[in-house]
Amino acid sequence: MKLIRRSDAKLLFHLGQREGNLLVQVLKRYPCVPPAHQPLNKSGLLANQQENQRLLDEALAEQRADCKKQLQALLADPRRFHKVDIGFRLSLSQPDIEWLLQVLNDIRVGSWITLGSPEGKLEHLNATTAPDFWAMELAGAFQMELLQALEEGGTYP
Amino acid sequence: MAATATPEVVPGIVHETEDKPKSGLEPGYLVICWNDPVNFMQYVTHVFQVVFGWPRKKAEFHMLQVHEQGKSVLTRESMEKAEHYVHQLQKYSLHATMERDE
Repeated sequence: MKLIRRSDAKLLFHLGQREGNLLVQVLKRYPCVPPAHQPLNKSGLLANQQENQRLLDEALAEQRADCKKQLQALLADPRRFHKVDIGFRLSLSQPDIEWLLQVLNDIRVGSWITLGSPEGKLEHLNATTAPDFWAMELAGAFQMELLQALEEGGTYP
Repeated sequence: MAATATPEVVPGIVHETEDKPKSGLEPGYLVICWNDPVNFMQYVTHVFQVVFGWPRKKAEFHMLQVHEQGKSVLTRESMEKAEHYVHQLQKYSLHATMERDE
């Protein structure tokens, strides 16, 4: 995945044939983090804890549904994602990059949770764990490419 | 001598001991980000910059605090704002919670 053009509104990436196919395969796994996985509070001392937790879970579920729609629209839009002779072209706006980073990190974190939230390197890969390990690593690699592109563009304050 | 039937009232300072509940608007909630081994340092820095509008240096300071000390208190806010920030951070799948600042 290589940034080949930058304008004020868009960043245009080139992906090799295999790379583009892998990106699509990884993105198809979204969402991966289990629903209602994230607690609002650790101590349990908040007022209306249950109600506030329910509202947070709902807001996150809505946001995931929205990201899923945006993802499907992106992959189906030939102006933003299309095949070329030697791979794929991916055109992203700054807001696109933000939700795509959220999607990729959901896949990364969700796969890690499925692997049992290992603290260090996963020692034994097998037929059951390999797909999640593969998804976690690939999502992280694409994430880093997007962050690198933002970094090079001086997007930050 | 018989005691008077009316209770004696002694003037003085009245100490109120009742705890007033903190209102939702009162700043008293800490937004905390917790360490995990899965999120990249560069990603966490990016999220702090986007969610709080912080400059790179401040975002990196808090990211390193999370990494090295296991957690970082990112801000102290009213309940509503703390909830908002936790939601924003969790949208990016960071391990963030809000705790009452006792």
